[in-house]
Amino acid sequence: MTIHRVIRKVQRFEGWFGGGAVLCLVAGLYLGLIGSPPDYYQGEVVRIMYIHVPLAHTSLLGYTVLAVGSLWYLWKRDPIVDNMCQAVAALSAVFTALALGTGMIWGKPTWDTWWTWDARLTSFTVLLLILIGYLMLRTFVDDPEKEARYGAILAIVGFVDLPIIHFSVEWWRTLHQPQSISMRGVSISSGLLVPLLFMSVGMSLLFSYMLMVRTQLLYLDRLLHAKKGRLLSQFHLSKFDS
Amino acid sequence: MTNLYIRWGGVCVVAIVLIVLTYNHYRDNLANLAPRQVKQEAPAGDIRVLGMVQGGTLETHGAGEATFTLLGESASLQVQYEGPPPDNLRELKILILIGRWNAATQVFEARDIGIVPNYGFIAGAYLLGLLPLALLLFAMNRRVNFLYDEIKTSKLYEEE
Repeated sequence: MTIHRVIRKVQRFEGWFGGGAVLCLVAGLYLGLIGSPPDYYQGEVVRIMYIHVPLAHTSLLGYTVLAVGSLWYLWKRDPIVDNMCQAVAALSAVFTALALGTGMIWGKPTWDTWWTWDARLTSFTVLLLILIGYLMLRTFVDDPEKEARYGAILAIVGFVDLPIIHFSVEWWRTLHQPQSISMRGVSISSGLLVPLLFMSVGMSLLFSYMLMVRTQLLYLDRLLHAKKGRLLSQFHLSKFDS
Repeated sequence: MTNLYIRWGGVCVVAIVLIVLTYNHYRDNLANLAPRQVKQEAPAGDIRVLGMVQGGTLETHGAGEATFTLLGESASLQVQYEGPPPDNLRELKILILIGRWNAATQVFEARDIGIVPNYGFIAGAYLLGLLPLALLLFAMNRRVNFLYDEIKTSKLYEEE
């Protein structure tokens, strides 16, 4: 089964992803804002975790999809996969920017600063710059084939930032707290964990749904332009004929 | 297009319900009185007073007892604290005191101390995290519907 058939099959369940995202996010927001207890040290401000952490996880998931899709494109040169890569890059850029923004808001009451050149924050900012660079590259190159190929290479090279982001809190002494959920176990109480899981699942479903919508949007946009272009050239050819 | 607006109307209703529920849950925590209001209104029952511990006035008498002056914008209160040993009671610290106003002695009898909640940061983070995503998704949904309409209704569309 080719990848674009898989994409087409998954897109049939687009509504389920959207509905699931709304349900999980509503449950996560209710539990996170009302149902969960405040943290002993941070107090109420810990509730920012339920929006910041899922956004950050989802942006990393998005970049992973972009890197895998780019590899697939370089191998098979499938334009539908390239279309999906372009869609996922834009969405990942938005999610990364929002994760940084919410992190800055969380940093002010807990670290007493909006920003610091901490390893986690800096490597995450590099991710945003890579995504912006990817989108700019795709805008400025005229040849669609070259645009897709250069973009794919950049996305694969940029993937090196993901392990740096992941291990930054272990490799360097950072202000950012270490991971609460890892292979070594879970270090937060269930009262905080349950809303975090709901929000993470909800945010991933929302990202998948947005990816399907954006992939469709880019596809339809290109289809419309291609058809318009074809009609235009036929019109011009007929002018030459006459 | 109508279906799109109905769907998004539903999302807006759910969002409004969540906002109202959250506001009601925290309304009591938001209703803090200033020392001036306490002196003027002399409210009965348990109240929450927001102010700063005036420098040089804090005297501790054992683990869970202290007296100090709580400073507001244009008035101050004498406070007598009796309760759990406080972690965050120190001079020049902004606090919320929970207790009763004794109008006869003109002393605020506090039994608990809370830190000032940062609800502004929480609301800001949630707005920043969710609102742009909702607006972006709405714009994309609208654009997809528009493109489908454009392709179907214009002469560009060819039945396969």
